[in-house]
Formats: sequence, C-alpha cells, structure tokens
Amino acid sequence: MKSICRTHEHLSRRALLKGALRTAGGAALMNWGGLFHSDAMANEVKKSNKRCILIWLNGGCSQFETFDMKVGRPTGGVFREISTNVPGTRVCELMPRISQRMDKLTVIRSMRTSQIDHPGGIYLMHTGWSRTADTRFPEIGAIVAKYCGDAESDLPNFVKISSVGDAGSGILGPQYQPFKLNRDGALPPFSISPLSAEHEARRHGLRDFVERQYAARHRADPVRMHREAYDRARRLNNVRHVFKLDAEWEKYRDKYGDSKIGRRMMIAARLVEAGVAFVEVGQSGYDTHADNFEGHKSLVPPMEHAWAALLDDLDERGLLDDTLVVWMGEIGRTPKINNRSGRDHYVRSWTTALAGGGVKGGLVYGASDKDGIDVKEDRVTEGDFFATIYTALGIDPETENYSGVRPIPLAQFGHKVVRDILA
Amino acid sequence: MNIKAPIHQWQLSFEGEWPTSVAFLGDERRLAAGNRSGQIYVWELPENPPQPQAAGGKNSKNDRPPDFPPVRRLDGHTNGITHLRTTPDGRTLVSSSLDHTVRVWDVDAPATGEAEVVLDGKQRENQARRTSGRKRDEILNAPGTRVETVAATHVLEGHGGWVYGLDISADGKRLISGDDQCLSIVWDLASLEPVSSWHGYDRVWVRSVALAPDGKTAFTCEYAGRRSSFDVPAAQARLWNADDGTLKMDLLKIWTPDVNDRNRTDSYQYWQKWRKLLKRGLVCAAFSPDGTMLAVGQGGETDTGKVHLVDVDSGKILRTVSGHRYGVCDVKFSADGKYLLSSGRDTTVRICRVSDGEQVAVLGASRGGQFKDWVHAIAISPDQNTVAAADIAGMVHVWQWESSG
Amino acid sequence: MRGASSGKVADMNRPWQLVLSALVVACAAPAVVGDGRLRDVIDRAVEDAWKANNVMPAALSTDSEFVRRIYLDLIGVIPTYDEVVVFLDDADPDKREKLIARLLDHPRYGVHQSDVWDMIYFGRNPPGYGTRYRDGFKNWLRDQFNDNVPYHVWARAILKAEGNTVEHGPPMFFVQYKNAPEDATVAVTRKFLGIQLQCARCHDHPFDAWSQRDFYGMAAFLVRLRVVDVGKKGKLKAYAIGEKNSGEVLFTGPVQQDGVGKQGQPVKPKFLKGALLVEPRLPEDFKEPRDFPSGRMPPKPRFSRKDRLADWITSPENPYFARAVANRIWAQFMGKGIVHPVDNLSPANPPSHPELLDALTQALIEHEFDLKWFIGEIVNSRAYQLSAVGSGSKEAKPKWYQRARYRPLSAEELFESWMIASGFDKVLERSGKARSPIEATGVGGDRFQVRGIEWERLLQSFGRPNDGVGNFQGGLHEHLYLNNGPIRQMISDRPGSLHESLAKSEASWEERVERLFLQVLSRRPTSAEIEEFVAFLSAGDDPRGRLHDAVWTLMTCSEFRFNH
Repeated sequence: MKSICRTHEHLSRRALLKGALRTAGGAALMNWGGLFHSDAMANEVKKSNKRCILIWLNGGCSQFETFDMKVGRPTGGVFREISTNVPGTRVCELMPRISQRMDKLTVIRSMRTSQIDHPGGIYLMHTGWSRTADTRFPEIGAIVAKYCGDAESDLPNFVKISSVGDAGSGILGPQYQPFKLNRDGALPPFSISPLSAEHEARRHGLRDFVERQYAARHRADPVRMHREAYDRARRLNNVRHVFKLDAEWEKYRDKYGDSKIGRRMMIAARLVEAGVAFVEVGQSGYDTHADNFEGHKSLVPPMEHAWAALLDDLDERGLLDDTLVVWMGEIGRTPKINNRSGRDHYVRSWTTALAGGGVKGGLVYGASDKDGIDVKEDRVTEGDFFATIYTALGIDPETENYSGVRPIPLAQFGHKVVRDILA
Repeated sequence: MNIKAPIHQWQLSFEGEWPTSVAFLGDERRLAAGNRSGQIYVWELPENPPQPQAAGGKNSKNDRPPDFPPVRRLDGHTNGITHLRTTPDGRTLVSSSLDHTVRVWDVDAPATGEAEVVLDGKQRENQARRTSGRKRDEILNAPGTRVETVAATHVLEGHGGWVYGLDISADGKRLISGDDQCLSIVWDLASLEPVSSWHGYDRVWVRSVALAPDGKTAFTCEYAGRRSSFDVPAAQARLWNADDGTLKMDLLKIWTPDVNDRNRTDSYQYWQKWRKLLKRGLVCAAFSPDGTMLAVGQGGETDTGKVHLVDVDSGKILRTVSGHRYGVCDVKFSADGKYLLSSGRDTTVRICRVSDGEQVAVLGASRGGQFKDWVHAIAISPDQNTVAAADIAGMVHVWQWESSG
Repeated sequence: MRGASSGKVADMNRPWQLVLSALVVACAAPAVVGDGRLRDVIDRAVEDAWKANNVMPAALSTDSEFVRRIYLDLIGVIPTYDEVVVFLDDADPDKREKLIARLLDHPRYGVHQSDVWDMIYFGRNPPGYGTRYRDGFKNWLRDQFNDNVPYHVWARAILKAEGNTVEHGPPMFFVQYKNAPEDATVAVTRKFLGIQLQCARCHDHPFDAWSQRDFYGMAAFLVRLRVVDVGKKGKLKAYAIGEKNSGEVLFTGPVQQDGVGKQGQPVKPKFLKGALLVEPRLPEDFKEPRDFPSGRMPPKPRFSRKDRLADWITSPENPYFARAVANRIWAQFMGKGIVHPVDNLSPANPPSHPELLDALTQALIEHEFDLKWFIGEIVNSRAYQLSAVGSGSKEAKPKWYQRARYRPLSAEELFESWMIASGFDKVLERSGKARSPIEATGVGGDRFQVRGIEWERLLQSFGRPNDGVGNFQGGLHEHLYLNNGPIRQMISDRPGSLHESLAKSEASWEERVERLFLQVLSRRPTSAEIEEFVAFLSAGDDPRGRLHDAVWTLMTCSEFRFNH
C-alpha cells in the first residue's frame, strides 16, 4: 500500500509543478507545503519515532504557586514550599507528588516571551511564532504529527482533549489538523458509522469519484482541506476501539486521581501507547486575576496528581524514554498581587517544564530574581523553547515548510537550542 | 445600636500584608487585628481620639482620621490569619490561620519579649518623597513602635490544611473550626478537647462555619473552587448537631425544592441552580443572638454578593439583604439582633435592618479603579457602639456611633 | 435634538469632526456618483490592480456557478430545482441583474442578513445572561434589512438600545455587557468602527495611536448603563437598558501597577481622538435612586451619554463608521476585505485597494447607507461574478479578487439548503409538520426545530468553520456529522423527498441523474458524471440504497459545502 500514490496526489504534484513554472513568471502561488505522502518525499523527511504529550494550563498558571516560590517576599503569596527528591530544589506545597518526581523533570524558570494577552499567548505558545496575517504557522501538534507520526496509521496523529488554540495545522496541510475529543476524552458524537463496511465502501467509491471530478478544476485550499478531512474521518472508524477507555479508567482512577484532568491524562497515555504521535491535554481556569490562591489551590492538586501518575505510567510501560511531556500555559502571572487577591498576566519571567525522552531530569534551568520580577540568568525565549522541544523529539528546528514561495522554518529565526537541558 | 451619625474615629495603620481579621477584646477600646502573613497586633485606644471626623466621605490627606500605634504583637502563626474570635468575657482570643493551626491566646498574658515594628512604611515613603537628604532619612528611619510580644497559650493541631472557618458560640463554651480538606471540628473551649468532628470529600473546602449561641448547632458551607477540574460533589450548605457531628438539615436541598435528589450531582445543570444561591461559596456566616436566624454571605468574585437570612427552624431563606459589588467578606449581627452588618469587596460596611432588609447605613466608601479594595472583616464592640473593620489597603477602621440615650 | 440647551450641547461637540478628519487621508473621491455606476468603478479598480500586480484573472462565472452563488449570498439558501431550471434556460441577457433585484426583495433576504449580522454582533456564544434567545433582536434586524432601513439608522438604534429585548430587539446587544462597560467599549468600537482598542485597556497601545486614557474616555460613555429585567413577555425574559444619571469610570493607571489603596481618578467621556463630551451639570440636590427596580422600564436619564455616543458613531462624518461597514460588506461578498481583517482598520494594516475603499465609502455615504443598493452594486460587478475556477491561485480569498472566493456555508445555510436539496421541506409539508411561514422566516429557534435534526449538534459541528481570522478549518468533526449523522434522515423515504421521487420516477436514469444534480448542486451533470452515476444507480442490487448514497454524496461533497 505504501508505494501506491493516490490519484489526487498526482494531480497535486502536477499542480505544484505548474505552480513552479508560474512562480518563475512572477505570479504568486499558494500551496501549503512541498511535501506529500509519497515514497521519495517520505525518505527525505527523517521520521523520528518519538511521541509528545502537551499538558496545557489554559489561562496562565502562576509560577509563584508551582515551581518558582518566593516565600517571605512581598510577591510570595500564601503558599509555602516543600523539599523534593532533588537536593536543593523546592517546589510549592501544592505539589507533593511532583516533588517526589523532580528527578524526572527539567524546570525552566527563566522563560521570557512576547505575547501577554490570551489569544496572542495561546497562538504563540502553540506555534512558537507571533500571529501574522499572511502566514499560517502550524501548531506544535501538527509538527509532531508530521515529523513523528505514522502517516499510514488510521489513528489521527494530533489529538486534542479539552484544550484551546485555533492555529491548527496551518501551512502543513489539512491532514495534520487536530482531532478533538470531548471534554471527557470520549469520541465526539457521530464518530461511529452505522453502515456495514461493504455499504460504506460502496458509498465511498461514488463520493471519491465526485470529489476527484471537482478537484480537477477546483484547487483552492479549503476544498482540499475538506477532502482530506473526510478521508481521515473515514479511517477513524477502523480505530474506534482505541478510544473506548471507560473500563480502563475504572482501573486507573485512583492512580490518576478522581478528576477530569486525571481522566484526560490517562487517555493521553493510552493513545500515545496506541501510536498517536501527539496528544494535547488541557486544563482551564488558571486566569486568576481574582482569588489567585484559592484558584490555584483548586486546580494544581488534581493536575499534579494526574501529572505524577502520567509520568509513572509512561515509565512503567517503557514509554517515557520516547515520550516528551511538555507542561506550560500561554503566560505566567505577575509577581505583584492585585487588590482582588489575584495575579495578572506576566511574560517577563515565568516557568515551564519538560520531562521524558530527550531531556535531562532533575534539573532546574535558569533563574528569576529574588522577587520573580525579571530573569536573572539563562533566559529562554519562545523560539528557544520550541527549538529545544523539536530537537528533543529528533526534529531539526530549521526544517523548512513553504508558505507560498516563502520557506518557513519550524522554530523562530534567531532561536538557540538550549543544549544544557537535552539528554 | 444607634446607627445614626457614625464617626470615623480611628484609622489604624497596619501595613504589610493584607489585614484580614479583627476582634474586640472585652471592651471597645481594645482590639486585635490579624493580617495575611500571620501577624496579630493588639491596640489599646485612648478614650478621646485627637480629632473625630465624619464618616462616609473619601479620606483626603487633610481629614484622615487619627492613627494610633499598637501595644502588643501576638507571635506564633507562620501564615495568614483567617479569623479572630473572642469569648464573651473578652479574656480569650482565638485565631485561625493558613498555617493549619488554631491558636488560643490569653488576652492579659504577661509579655515574653519586645520588638520594634514599623506599620506605616508606605506612608513614610509618601511623606519622604517630597523631601531629600537628612530630612528624608529622618522620616524613613524614624523609630517604629515598641510592642510587647506574647505567645499563644495553646496551639490546636488537628487540621491538615488552611483553617478557613472559625467561630465561638455566644455562650463562650464551644469553638468550631473548618479546613480546606473538608474537616470540621467542634471543640470544648474550656478543655480544648474536640467534641465532635466530621469529614467530607478531600478536595472540598469548608468555606465558612458558625456556631449557634448555645453551641448545639453548627453551620458549614462546603465548596470546591473549580467545578471543571475534578469530579466532586456539588457545594453544600448544612446544619449539624455539634454534639455528635450528625447532619441536622441540608439547607441547600431546602433552598432548591424543585431539584430531584437524583440530580444533586456535580453536573453542570445542578451547578447552574446552586450557584445562584451560593455564588462563589458562602464565605461568612453568623447566627443571630437569639439563635433563630442564620446570616450567610455570598463570596466573590461575583456580580454582587448578598447575604441570605435563613430561618434556622425551617431552613428557608427569609430574605436576601445587603449587596456588595464583587462579593461579601464578613457578616455580623448586632447584639439585639436588629441589625445585620456586612462588609465586602467594595470597601464598605453595610448595615441593614433584619426585619425588612432595608439598608440603613453605609460606612466607608469605594476607592480605586474598576476593582475596589476589600473590607475583609468586621467586629462589633461589646457595648455595640463601635465597629472595627479590617481594610486590605493596610488599615483598621474604627467607627463609633454617637452614644444613644 | 430637543430643547435649546441640548442643541447647544450638541453643537459644542462638533469640533471633534475637524480633529478626526485631519486624521483621515483626504478622500480622493473619484467620480463615483454622477455618471459612473459603482459597479464599474469597482471593476476598473480591480482590473487596475491586476495589471499592477501582474495577476491573471479567472473568466466570468457560468450561469450555474452564478445562480447558486447569488442565492446563497443574498438569501442564504440554494435555489430550488425549478428556480435553477428557469434561470439556466432563460435567454434574457439581463437575467443576472434581474435575478439580483428579485432576490434583494425576497423575504428571505432579511432572514439571511440577520443571520450574518447576528454572528457579527453576538457570535455563537455571546457573554451575558439572557443573550441566548435572541428572537426579538433577530426578527427586528430581519425587518430592518427587508425594509431597507438605512444602515446608520438601525445601527444607531442598536446603540441607543431603546425598548426591550423581546418586543423590540435592539437592547440585546448591550445585555451581553452587563456591568462590563470596558467589554462593551471594545465590542462597540470593533464592530461599528473597525477599531481594535482592547490592548489600550491595560496599557498604552504599542503601535496604534490609542492610549489608555482614550480607552477609558470611550468607556465613560457606557459606564452608566444597566441591564434591567423588565419581566416576561410571552415565554421569554425581557431586558431593557437603563442609564443612570451619574457614575464615572475610575482609572488607576496601567494594570501592571495596580495594587491596594490606589485611588482611582474619574475619566470624563471623550470621543476617540476628539473632544470631551460637554454635559450639563446635575442639580445640587439631585439624588440618584440606587437601582432600577425590575419589572418596569427604566426612566430615561436627564442627559444620555450613550445617545451622544450613538450619534457620534453613526454619523456619516465619522471617518471610521462608513469605511468600516463598506469594507465589511465588501468582504462579505468578495471574500477578503480591502482591509483585512475587517475589524482592524489600523494604519499598521493598509488597504489593498486604497482608492477603491475610499470610493466605496464615499458612495455609501452619498446613498445614505442604502444597503440594498450597495450590495446590489457589488454583486452586479464583474469582479464579483468571476468564476471560482482558474487563475492558479489557491487561496480561499484571493487578495486581488482575480477569482471568486470560497466561503464555507454557515450552519444555517447548510440546514436550509439541505432541506431544499433533499426535498425534506416538502416531506414536512405533506406530513402536516411543515414549518409555518412565520417559523420558516422567523430567525429564532423555531426555525430549526425539525424533528430528528438536532440543531445543537449541527451547531457544534458547523457553527464555527473558521479559525480566529476567517480561514476555513473544518476538521474531522464535520465529516463525522456528514458521514454518520442525521443527513441520512433527511434523505427520506416519504413522499415529497427527492430520494422518493427519483425512486418512483419512470424517467430514464440519465434524466434522473440530471434532476439529482440540478436539485442538489444547482447545475447539470457533465457527461462523465452521468456515465458514472448511471452505472452506479443501475447496478442491480439495492437500488434504493444506491439512490440514497447518490443523494448523500452530492449533499456532503465539497462542492456543496462551499459557496464558490
């Protein structure tokens, strides 16, 4: 099966060649990438067998209530710190389980990024780029799906469970669009076909004909996206059993903690085990402009319980060495506590964390000053952060995809890979 | 309580972390206030303050009510104070804290040490801004206040988390404390032994507690911060038998009679119903002096936080009174049960008539931008003529009514 | 304005015009009106840009392309089989212009435009309590369009928010922003003026000219608004917008510096980049009642800031107002706005065809915001009527308008069009469950309450087909609905449905395939398509099932999904 190109891809290739001629003549040409699913091309893309789970803390988790404690300072707040299984490192008392797994984590306390509002920050920390009107940058999930995912698999390679971000697959093309599960991690409605396989195939044959006729003359992006998405939706039917995880949840409920975030993380672990390249798990509510301490008190314990279980689970199943677990939100929170007992948005100095394949564990990289106002050493920008993640996953951050005729690297220009945290 | 013509008698500097709690110690001139880093100070105010001011208006520099330094500091807590309560005889002070403990203080205990403290740092900086050199140094480095320091007589352990709720029954015999791991304990104040306790779902907080005047009935509100993060029971507002910790009345159930019991789950639908009554949790509670009513305040942040007056016998809400923009912080009844005082996130103390819910007075006024500073706690002096309020902007206000006949 | 004193007040607010117009590049004002028709101006401008940018345009659209496109764009539903055949077979050289005129007068024109503008004003999940059931607003808006009320008149009605949300409609806009004058300010400036002020809420804007004081000066117009519950009208809760006589916006400086104890400074209302609002002073002994009691319409204030704001925004002299709506409506039909995105008319975001935008703006003002005229001119232009095929560009919305754009159908359009395509509307009629004319043209919930088709599910899958900036993102979820969802029920066995009539028909397969294509895709099939479909349908086994598949295929394919 692998060596047979499908008809519509031949057309696209022809279109690309035509486009190349056009380009020479000076006309503007939009396509979404010069790489198709064909043998020759696939060999050019070095596929890595790594996986990635992104834990997304929507709203902006406070670094002062998790990894970068400033107890006793005016910016410190009411939480105290506890020691961890890494000598000299302390974390917030809200994270007792993670404190005993710090040997698996690399915490970056010196993040300095550029987008302080939610939409800007969400886009930035999903794609590694600031939003512009003319280039549709792909999300990290689409990138991992493309460079690490098995394109032959019927499983979608980019799955999102209750998370945000609308950048999608951008210039990488519709086959890397995210597949979104329900908030409880279940398949969305209408996922299962009521037809027999034979009937479905018959119907599909006719539809395929109609689409090919249409595509022969209508080459615009949305049309192509529509077709590709249909194809993937169809193939989903073959793997629906992978998403039936109710029984599994009963077994693992205590391990992950009786919480929604726990359930989602367990599902992420199982999907990664089944071969999905990238799963994003979201938890909302961190935008604590008011009642910051109560807010984090209610969000962090279930999250850290689930996160600790995720690391254990992956480790026990031998998956942790090949799976990178990324923990971040879109922004950090202000050192100053406002008059609503809250913290506002802050991106001058904040914290993210990585664990698993490709990164060293037991490391705290970078530091903020005594009040958490500025980065004191080893600043990491969004470009650096993403470049490092890609490198950890075996993807060259300078790999280019095309937006029209412009080559766009995966990570921002001027990035530097933080080698010190790579294993 | 003659609430006409309140006078803003004192504005006591208590800068640093937010003042969160206040209580009178036996008479209207002695009060204690605690803040969010765990400090508790005691003031002994003179009878005649230098220059009384009219209450209600904004305090410009010129007509700021007089300040007075504290005389003692109660040491021991390592994290914020959530509540201060005194026994009716005014001799014992009890404090609850985020450091998981409840401490009992003898108000007249001899001092064990001394310290110099500066409680008006920001004001000094403001003053010093217009000066320089030696004058500036003089202001900034002026000596602070000398205070005695005292330790607690007892530290009550037993809670594993923030002690969110604290109350003493009006007869002075019992104490109740509730923490953020859903444990409530009723203590006998004389022996400091637990009388009863009850436990709920770990991740739910006991957001407020109150004891009836005779100490036999307790109120708790259980509330978990975020619904969507974990599968928890819905919020609760309940009355308990303090003697043995058994459930006496499920108030939320009475307040939502049209909900089928099967549907009292953590579902979104039920949440839509109970959040109208509880908003972000009932964060403060007080029984009326005659024990027939319970006042519970809706916490923030929310549009407007109000206070429900509940009939203790039937459990029904008699009326809903007051209203603080963004949420209520504290509620207290006057000793004659006629008035309800509430403070909230709009920098005011509102006084409402219990009989019909009409607001009869407002103490304080909003300051700030879109969001106002909070009045975190209030206390009423035993003689009912003085009200103290902890203002998060770093001060304790004291208002006095003109003495009635 | 009533009364001498208020007239004086209004006059004193005029100087802002001079300030504002200084900011706007003086309109070159090409000879728009007078001799030239706007459609010709459009075509010339678009052609000039092609030449300047070396772009090859597509050819003119075929009649099939055109008829489907114009029905969807003007009345939000595909043409019926009869309508298609009549149009395709009409030999009148002016048939396109005449069809456009007919559709602009169609009762569904208002329904569709109401859907489009409801999305602009409310989106799918508007904030605020009570904003979910917007029948009052949407019906009112439909009538504004059908009666061709000038845009500045009904826009002003929305901003003045008089009446209640059920019997009148307009107040619903502000109900979204209860107790949130800052959010209301961001929404009003964005949707009516195409300006993005949200950054200026917390700090001075990094590159545009807006400062925090500008923001709060505008918010001051809306800080006195209150949402008042005026009781139930029929089944729905009704709200009205009350305005107090006092109340100020307090400003404490950049958010980064917010802390306790800060005294906020009141900010007086000030027109954006213009003059301060002159207000009469309240009498000394004036006592503001604490709240507007519910159950009653709130009294009008002595002086309404909101009304002054409404007048200023909707004035033809406001340089943003006409420009923003001209650009927005252009984008609605042409794909990309001349300024893109359409709610960001910023100097950092220059127009692709500056003179054309000026001309459109000018023309709209000169025609007193007559939208039917304006839309008519756009869709009568050749630029609009180009084919979607050809020119080599793959963008959904070509920048130089060298090709028609691809637009995904909205959930409402899909629903209505599926009803027509499958003949399900006729099925309902015959079984006595037809939607009444009111239901069918009402814009409220009743319209979509058809048994078996769960509107909420449809909304979940198709409610938001684009990403944050208008790019089509339809993912797997759409296809799960299409493949496995209630479409099957619409392809009914019951009398009236297309499926049923084709099954019962005695005509040849070729004729039936032609009927199928005309009813669903509004065009005749190619010979290749005829061949393939006839072979498929006459295969011998499961003829009804195969017919069902054929209808399904055309209803769910890409050609149906988009307007092109």
